[in-house]
Amino acid sequence: MSWEYLLMQLVNGLILGSMYALVAIGFTMIYGIIRLINFAHGEVVMIGAFSTLGLMAHGGLPFPLVVAAVLLVGAGTGILIERAAFRPMRDAPQVTGFIASLALSIMLQNLGVMILSGQPRNFNFPDYLRFSVSMGPLDVRVIDLCIIGLALGSMGALMFFVQRTKMGRAMRATAQNLEVARLMGINANRVIMIAFALGSALAALGGLMWGGKYGQIDPLLGFVPGLKSFVAAVIGGVGSIPGAIMGGYIIGFSEILFVGLLPPAYASYRDAFVFGLLIVILLILPDGLLGGKSEDRA
Amino acid sequence: MRMITRCLVALALFLVLAVPAGAEETIKLAGMFNLTGGMSSIDAPALNGAKLAAKLINEQGGVLGKKLEVIGYDTKTDQKACATAAQKAVSDGAVAGLGYGDTTFVNAAAPAFINANLPFVTSGATHPELPKWHGEYFFMVPFGDDDQSFAIADYAANQLGVKNVVVWTDNSMDFTKALSKFFKQRIEELGVNMIYEDFFMMGDKNFSAQIARLKNANPEADAVFIASIPNEAGLTTKQIRESGLDLPIISADGFDTELLVTVPGKKLANDIYFSSHTYREDTRPEVLNFIEEYNKEYGRDPENAFAPLGFDAVGLLADAMERAGSTDGPKLRDALAATRGYEAVTGEISYTRPSRVPVKAVSIISVKNGEYKVEQIWMPEI
Amino acid sequence: MRLPRSFLFTLLLGVGLLLVWFMEARMSSYFLMVAGFVGINIILAVSLNITNGFTGLFSLGHPAFMAVGGYVTAILTFPAMRKAMFLPDLPAWLAGLELPFLPALLFGGAMAVIVALFVGVPVLRLKGHYLAVATIGFLIIVQVLLKNMEGWTRGPLGLSGLPAITNLWWIALFVLTCIVTAWRIKFSSFGRRLQAVRENEMAAKCIGMNLFLTRIQALCVGAFFAGVAGGLWAHLITVITPNSFSLVMAFTIVVMVVVGGSGSITGSVLGATVVTLLTEVFRPMEEQLGLYGMSEVLMSLVLLLILILRPRGLFGTDEPIFLLPDEYRGTWKAKGMKKK
Repeated sequence: MSWEYLLMQLVNGLILGSMYALVAIGFTMIYGIIRLINFAHGEVVMIGAFSTLGLMAHGGLPFPLVVAAVLLVGAGTGILIERAAFRPMRDAPQVTGFIASLALSIMLQNLGVMILSGQPRNFNFPDYLRFSVSMGPLDVRVIDLCIIGLALGSMGALMFFVQRTKMGRAMRATAQNLEVARLMGINANRVIMIAFALGSALAALGGLMWGGKYGQIDPLLGFVPGLKSFVAAVIGGVGSIPGAIMGGYIIGFSEILFVGLLPPAYASYRDAFVFGLLIVILLILPDGLLGGKSEDRA
Repeated sequence: MRMITRCLVALALFLVLAVPAGAEETIKLAGMFNLTGGMSSIDAPALNGAKLAAKLINEQGGVLGKKLEVIGYDTKTDQKACATAAQKAVSDGAVAGLGYGDTTFVNAAAPAFINANLPFVTSGATHPELPKWHGEYFFMVPFGDDDQSFAIADYAANQLGVKNVVVWTDNSMDFTKALSKFFKQRIEELGVNMIYEDFFMMGDKNFSAQIARLKNANPEADAVFIASIPNEAGLTTKQIRESGLDLPIISADGFDTELLVTVPGKKLANDIYFSSHTYREDTRPEVLNFIEEYNKEYGRDPENAFAPLGFDAVGLLADAMERAGSTDGPKLRDALAATRGYEAVTGEISYTRPSRVPVKAVSIISVKNGEYKVEQIWMPEI
Repeated sequence: MRLPRSFLFTLLLGVGLLLVWFMEARMSSYFLMVAGFVGINIILAVSLNITNGFTGLFSLGHPAFMAVGGYVTAILTFPAMRKAMFLPDLPAWLAGLELPFLPALLFGGAMAVIVALFVGVPVLRLKGHYLAVATIGFLIIVQVLLKNMEGWTRGPLGLSGLPAITNLWWIALFVLTCIVTAWRIKFSSFGRRLQAVRENEMAAKCIGMNLFLTRIQALCVGAFFAGVAGGLWAHLITVITPNSFSLVMAFTIVVMVVVGGSGSITGSVLGATVVTLLTEVFRPMEEQLGLYGMSEVLMSLVLLLILILRPRGLFGTDEPIFLLPDEYRGTWKAKGMKKK
């Protein structure tokens, strides 16, 4: 096991973790405010990936503009989902919202297959992003650096927004206690809408990264990242944004390292290991890593 | 009150199902495919091919004076749906079943037809023991995994001069496990050394660990055999080439897809060899005609080799029906078993072997700088 | 005009049996298969209701119990000769064993209970969404193990050519057992304990209830029936593979329970029936239009509408009034309490 090999695996874990973290943030933001799990979040990732493909193929826009456009598409999708599926569900028991988001997820997946066909498509970025850069003993591609950079940048921007701006404060207040926040004059509907918009924008960005990293997308791609990000958000403590980020990186690293460090025969047990790890973490810390407040008090 | 209304609605639905659908005077073939869910990218083109065949045959006057109708049953990549849909197809009056690109679903759907003494012809499932498991009414359109694995193993050892090989197996599908099993068997017979076997799963996106191990292989690997389905063909190739490895990549019909070239890009899609159905880059008139008709009907090239295979399944059944002079189950079955030299798009089909796996030619196809070329045609020992 | 409940129950039973006899005698094999799945889904929905609905646990691991029960039953009914060929790693005593259907099913259910104990002890201390995620994890672990322990389960290929022993009578037997068990649980002190855990844990603890034990019991009862349902399922399709027992199946069962009303047995029965039948009803439309995937889209839409318009499901937590035990009439609904 060489030094370079380990380093390479760590970098891979960083990249994968960044993508999971971005999607997990969206999950956790929505949960934190309205206590509803949005299973359709994975589909926003898929929509982001396909929008990028469409924009690059037909729009011919320069890359930074594509990124901005995808963020907008993501935000728009999020707002749409909120209006259509979640607002009517707000007073229903939790499980109902969960099922509704699942129904939405299945609907979007199958619409995707019907409209776009199930065939995987290739997804190629402009050439200047595909070069390799030598960093010490490693060869990293520009696109990988972009992913890490974008992810860290967005997360930083989000943290700033949540901690330092007025709207961010409003969001934190609503997350703590919706009723009281309303009484304090906060427009809860607006806050929820913004939470959905931001979370979904990040998810769409995740979709862009996913396509760029692997070069192949299909309408069903959102399911697995959606599930893993859900798990990541829970590991970190649902409702906590730093927790979601941590959870995302933990899952990303575990996935890569389990395959990388164990002998080949165990590679197929990878998912079992990752979920086993999840259960162990939850047993030690039943509210997740950073989730301190148990709202589900009797 | 609303409860009672709902109960009545449920009852009404029950009764609706009990009434069979009205039938017209056509010969019905049940096209069993996973048109939604994870396997849709493999099965959907096959149904397209099958329906195209029916259309072309009908334009020529149909079969036995009647029109041929292929009804597509979507089984949603779910075995329970396979069993249910198969039963429905039999109840709907299908004279035979066809379809699927994977053994798992064939196993769930075929029994319904077989038990009703109706033939089942799989268009894309390649496990050589399938006819043995399902009995006399089961037929395969493609060659068996043993044939295609032997073909590529022979090519690698004899033409490419491979002495040491690494095997990557997709451990989540029995198709890929069968490929590996037969490949390993053949290279041992040929005296090629397998350095080690590595594993991955369908749906995996990241192969950096396997690539790192490949780089460190001792002795150095002359080639890597990847047993995968089309979804991972492009991904594995792209990542292997991007990591700087340029050793030959070899595989079987799982690599027969556009993704192999489009995902890595033409420059990186280099030095790849795979065995597949005699279809891609083939110049036989059946092939050219098929591609042209497919384009006319669907507005694009056939997406993968399963499209002509679906086409062939229907063609084979129609041909057998003409020879049998009837659509009766046992007679159709006998006519199928007697097929010799049927000129299918994917090669000539003859059921001369007792295993009822057709003796078909295998194409060895190379990809160099994104260009496909047929290097060799391999024939199984009869 | 209030008929005695025992009469109503016997009437329902009689109608049910008559229906089964009629279907077996007259209907096509397709119809029988669909009816069979309706029955199996009823068992699944009602058993999940015991775990999720009565007790309020958010468990998504039901398909894993199905898988355990299904595989165990399949392995036990497999002809001994084929067992040796297909499953080389089985210990000798197991490989030579070949049981008839009923003991195999019961054994499958029992194994599922053992697994439930194994899993429940660590996992049931979690709550709400954390429990959901842990059960998802459990589901995936079971799937991975089944796929990889080839010597025992034949891996992804699964076991095929299983004897097609399941028919409507077997299914009806277990549907009856399951519903009766659930009914008796619901209106017993055990059931009241389960509901107490669901409604207010703190209060339940205050009156001295052992929460953990109660939860485990709920999980085990649900797991037993899920295991049996798995065995029935395997022998209806004659094939069993690891991929069938996925998260999607878990959600489908949860949907049946929620649509019917979480906590209502009648609701689960109806929910299972409606959901199973709806899938089949949409099928011919798909085939004619060639719009594959449409049925999923429509089902999801219907589900969404039900959830928006009637979030508590068809029955909420109640049963039809005319079936309730006497002492519950009038006091069952929180509002409008009538003096008995």
